[in-house]
Amino acid sequence: MTALSRPDQASPPAVNPRHRPSGAGTSRRRRVHGRDLLGALLSVPALALFAVFAIYPGLRVFYLSLFDYSLTAPPEFVGLDNFRFLATDPRFRETILNSIFYTVGTYLPALVLALLLALVLRRMTRGLGWIRLLYFLPVATSWVAIAVVWRLVLHPDGLLNQTLGLDVTWLTSSTSARWALVIMGVWKETGFFLILFLAGLARLPAEVHEAAMVDGANAWQRFWRVTFPLLKPITAICTIIAVIRGFQSFSPQVVLTDGAFGTEVVNQFVYKTAFESARMGRASAVAVLMFALLIAVTMVQLRVFRREDS
Amino acid sequence: MKTRVARFGLQLVVAAGGVAFAAVLAYAVLSALKPGGEVLAVPLRWWPSSFEWHNFARPFTETAFSRYYLNSVVVGVAVTLLNIVTCTLAGYSFSKFSYPGRNAAFVVVLATLMVPLEVIYVPLYALVFDLGWVNSFAGLIIPAGTSAFGIFLMRQSIDSVPDELLEAARLDGAGVVRTLLTIIGPLVRGPIAALALFIFLMNWDSHLWPLLVASDDEHRTLPVGLAAMQANNLGASSVPMMMAAAVLALLPTVALFLSLQKRFVEGVAMSAGLR
Repeated sequence: MTALSRPDQASPPAVNPRHRPSGAGTSRRRRVHGRDLLGALLSVPALALFAVFAIYPGLRVFYLSLFDYSLTAPPEFVGLDNFRFLATDPRFRETILNSIFYTVGTYLPALVLALLLALVLRRMTRGLGWIRLLYFLPVATSWVAIAVVWRLVLHPDGLLNQTLGLDVTWLTSSTSARWALVIMGVWKETGFFLILFLAGLARLPAEVHEAAMVDGANAWQRFWRVTFPLLKPITAICTIIAVIRGFQSFSPQVVLTDGAFGTEVVNQFVYKTAFESARMGRASAVAVLMFALLIAVTMVQLRVFRREDS
Repeated sequence: MKTRVARFGLQLVVAAGGVAFAAVLAYAVLSALKPGGEVLAVPLRWWPSSFEWHNFARPFTETAFSRYYLNSVVVGVAVTLLNIVTCTLAGYSFSKFSYPGRNAAFVVVLATLMVPLEVIYVPLYALVFDLGWVNSFAGLIIPAGTSAFGIFLMRQSIDSVPDELLEAARLDGAGVVRTLLTIIGPLVRGPIAALALFIFLMNWDSHLWPLLVASDDEHRTLPVGLAAMQANNLGASSVPMMMAAAVLALLPTVALFLSLQKRFVEGVAMSAGLR
């Protein structure tokens, strides 16, 4: 946050070396002030949009979580009833577990794979640069469109089964549907983290590596003792982004399984609670819990990575 | 010698993996061109026996696909333009002017990065409902009209424009807006392009919010329309049409990626605060 602590550019007397007739001092200060006022006004469109469409709903979600609210009737205060309901609702609990499964199942392999690929692809330049593009391609695809494609890939007679010689009903069995989502998720998300790891590796000083090489460290030692510790801040950021993306997941579950066969995630639970059961208060309570979870995960991860750092 | 062989082997594996990744997209394109009976043929058939280009016309003739497509383009362009304006103005304001509350406002903007749409969409929907914007383009466009990432990016970029340059422009009598258009604008063209690309891609992918505020055919965007088409066309005979629709929906962003690779990669890296 160094940008926030930089000095103000105000200091008007020194700025303008031009001499002016008497009385110019005060009028100039007023002019500078007027210019800054105009400058302040430039932020109004963005700030107004934030205030109305981000901050107001961000605060109101806490308020609504204490109410029974159906959109058409005025909200009715129910205290912590919504949270009490959620604490004992087996379906909510199941969607939480499904979200955790999807997040860990997709993003742990995606992160590991991205890191390993980055270490190899970093050296593959000069004529081999196009190979990384193949991995980046899924990043440019949109979730719904690519999920439509994956419905065919995961069809019992589709690309995956026929290529690997399998006979799995990926999308219509409660044992494999969750894995189908994970497989597609790894395919879609690895490239994103690969971009981040490659950017991180590109910023590492080359000398450290060369020094380790001269010291006779082998490839594994160089990675584990030199490269990985230097990549920790990026790994921390990637992990946080991964958890946030995992818990926000919605489109693949909607298109691939419509939440059937044990794949319904928290976001679908919120959607259905709010818009199919018209329980906006209860849905808000889930959103509040989700928010708390995201904050907690972020803090824990930052702390863990910082401790290991020192 | 041994390590060189090992490295070559490793690179070969990585190259093969890349081909496998891209094969999914090739499979989609080829399936879109196959006669209906060949998409799920056993054994697997990669190359169509005849190229059925008319599959690409089917989404347009059999569904409201053209409407969804047009809506996505209109909303995407509008949201992108709106973001360029609001983020550049706010970035300029936070970077080059001093007024009370400036830093506090910037911190509040950054704090909204911590609150994803998924957390606030219930009250956001209630608000848009009260405004009467459900099933309207206003509901699709205006709430997405600015972005914390964009403001952060534009502020950082405009920070690097030297104050002396702005001072010189001011002494020449250029006003605040003219300075932005003639001095700053040309210098931050790169970041603006990155921002535009980033916002357009995000918006093209946006599913949950349009699903809420644009439920009728007239306002549905591609993700919402495509998901509805998929739910209505589960039979095997619809597979080539659905593949054609998916390929057409993927086309703009994949083409943007292929033509603007460097910016695209920079944009992704920047969004994670790495650059």
